[in-house]
Amino acid sequence: MKRKMQVLAFVLALFMLLTALSACGSKSGNSENSNGGNTGNDASPTADAGKSEAKDTITALLPPVSGHYQSNFKQMESDFNALYPNLTLKIEPASWEDMTQKLDTQVNAGSPPDIAFIGSDGISKYVQQGMLMDIKDTATTEMVSDFDPAPLEYMKNGEGLFGFPAYMEVHAIGGNKEYLEAAGIDWKNVQKNGWTFEEFREAIKKGVVKEGDVTKRYGFVFATSGVTAKDYLNILIKNAGMPASFNKDLKYAYTSKNYLEVLKAVRLMIDDGSMPKELSSVDAGKRWNMFLTGQTMITGKGLATFENNANQNNEKLKANDGSAVQGSIPVEYIVLPVPTFLGEEPVSSTVVDGYVTFRGKKEPTAEHKANVVKAAYFLASGKVAATTNNDLFAAHISKSGREAAESMTVNRNPDNVAAVETLLSHANPARPDIPVELGAKAIKMEDEVIIPKLQALLANEISPEEMYEAVKAAAIKNFGEDGIVND
Amino acid sequence: MAQLAKTQIVKPAKRRRWKGDGGWAYAFIAVALIVYAMFTAYPVVSAFIISFQEYRPLGSVFIGFDNYVNTFQDSLFWKSIKNTIVYTVLTVPVSLFLSFAVAILIIPLKKGLQTTFKAVYYLPAVASGVALSVVWLWIFDPMTSGVLNQLLAVFGISNQNWLGSSASAMFSLVLMAWLSSHGTSIIIYLAALLGIDGSYYEAAELDGASFLQKLWYIVIPCLKPTTLFLLVTGVIGSFQVFQNAYLMTGGGPDNATTMVGLLIFNNAFKYFEFGEAAAQSLILTVIIAGISLIQFKFLGNDVEY
Repeated sequence: MKRKMQVLAFVLALFMLLTALSACGSKSGNSENSNGGNTGNDASPTADAGKSEAKDTITALLPPVSGHYQSNFKQMESDFNALYPNLTLKIEPASWEDMTQKLDTQVNAGSPPDIAFIGSDGISKYVQQGMLMDIKDTATTEMVSDFDPAPLEYMKNGEGLFGFPAYMEVHAIGGNKEYLEAAGIDWKNVQKNGWTFEEFREAIKKGVVKEGDVTKRYGFVFATSGVTAKDYLNILIKNAGMPASFNKDLKYAYTSKNYLEVLKAVRLMIDDGSMPKELSSVDAGKRWNMFLTGQTMITGKGLATFENNANQNNEKLKANDGSAVQGSIPVEYIVLPVPTFLGEEPVSSTVVDGYVTFRGKKEPTAEHKANVVKAAYFLASGKVAATTNNDLFAAHISKSGREAAESMTVNRNPDNVAAVETLLSHANPARPDIPVELGAKAIKMEDEVIIPKLQALLANEISPEEMYEAVKAAAIKNFGEDGIVND
Repeated sequence: MAQLAKTQIVKPAKRRRWKGDGGWAYAFIAVALIVYAMFTAYPVVSAFIISFQEYRPLGSVFIGFDNYVNTFQDSLFWKSIKNTIVYTVLTVPVSLFLSFAVAILIIPLKKGLQTTFKAVYYLPAVASGVALSVVWLWIFDPMTSGVLNQLLAVFGISNQNWLGSSASAMFSLVLMAWLSSHGTSIIIYLAALLGIDGSYYEAAELDGASFLQKLWYIVIPCLKPTTLFLLVTGVIGSFQVFQNAYLMTGGGPDNATTMVGLLIFNNAFKYFEFGEAAAQSLILTVIIAGISLIQFKFLGNDVEY
């Protein structure tokens, strides 16, 4: 009996060990077929290129890009298979929270998916690792010419093209129509002609409502808690003559005197009482809640889809639906441009997200590469793009997407549509010329110096001058005296 | 003939060795050893190798001691070490004291009530750290509507920017540590308290000892091994703290809550600088090992296990 028990216990322990080992060594069924290009045909890349009918599986890691996006995955997979019967598109859903971690883990293990939906600002990071697949030579002219040039540029790094863009969203700010009009702000004129910081400062002062010493409504609330602080500063400095962290001569731009002026403006708006003194702790959810509950006249950052969110909440309020935001009021969302500083031209901060193409440790075969490009194009264009962008209230950036969207109806404020078009007309151009190493240094400096110092500035712990000096010192350390702008 | 007889004698002896408990012991140890080798030893050795490399999935480059030199020259690394020490000094002793106090309060209760309290105090350890952080973010809401700020308003104190100000961000994380997750320590203390021989208390009562005297002369000395264990593991855990800073403050403001664990995480998974992150991890290991040795040297001399 004792011996039997020993054997049983040992078998169980061994089973546990084997389970752990198999978990370590397991590869998903499709991974063999995907990145390495091992599609069952072990011919050379050039030989494979001709065999376009060979079966292949393309994997894609996709987050919930829009509200209904992930529920369409089955349909997307079958539509792709109907278009290319020899190809299988295998979509792995991921939450936004998991997306980066999941992808990074797969990339660093050398077995990423063929396609992942990420922001174009993440491209340089993966290029530096050598894990992206340049599709410049594989994407057909028809595919490339389908996209608007500006967003397509964001998918490039150096000479390479690393995927197709899904949308180009403008980072703007958004106002409550009723409050804007109550404050005497001609928002239609602002949408068309923009505004200077001085005009904006006066406008948000008028938006403040106080009861005694207590502020009941602020003029402007922007999410600045944690990494969102980056968005706040970036959106402002682009309109102060610094559209990118490096100028055309590849000198670090945030040492310009204009940068200091923007920092002073950041402090001024809080000191005026137009923005809350606790701004450094206001996160994205909080400021949207403040907007819907009438605690601020203008909020940021504002994406086109926020109009949709506001409309949905309005509908819930009308229907007396308990899932409406607690304490919220009906709000008509108005797209507004970010003010310009020091007489500089307006430059809209944009975010381009898209379907980025990855490679594994093994060099992908030409055939597999072509198939991945087909899948990336399928996802980024036509019906899929039209449905997704309409869901997001985002502008269409491909001809096929626009055509597919013609038959779809969207309930959007035409003034907002026009305002977004105006903002897109001076969208910040992509900078694929910035070398990967310089870009990586700038990102790390932003995370380790700029954001922490901005948080301290917002909390009134340091002055704008102190922050400027700290940024300048870090810039000199990273890029040298000759590598920065001295104006 | 003699040789044959020798073989006949040796063979059963070999079989006995395997049949006996010794063979099975080796087999069971082997399972644990393989798991340890794969999931602990191998990653540590890998981290050691990576710390001398510029890590790339498609082929790393050997760069000597550069990662260590960069780490020692990085002011943020030293700031994160300082933050971690401050956090540890403020949280671990108070947490130990609170756990001990709660255990002392629970021990006289009836078994059913004791179990209820154990479960209640252990509950945060079972709950998701992310969910707890969300609750704490709500408590630390900086506006006047925030829970903690409403409490302050009762005393006429204006609202505080708990997580957004360098002056209060670290305190907020410390407060969070003070008021949550003592369950494991409480249960360990309770187990240790139950292990104290009742004759000590009886003798003390006969001598007319007060509650505090019994606590000071019986309970605290008897619990010294437990306290040392909780102190060492608490300090190790505190030096590795990551989740609270990551979820609550992201290390801000102005890196006032950047702990070394968060810095390592950022270097590894945000900037893909696995080499530097591995170097920092190994330096952290050496620091933790050093502190643990000091603790054992000064506090463990008269501890019997």
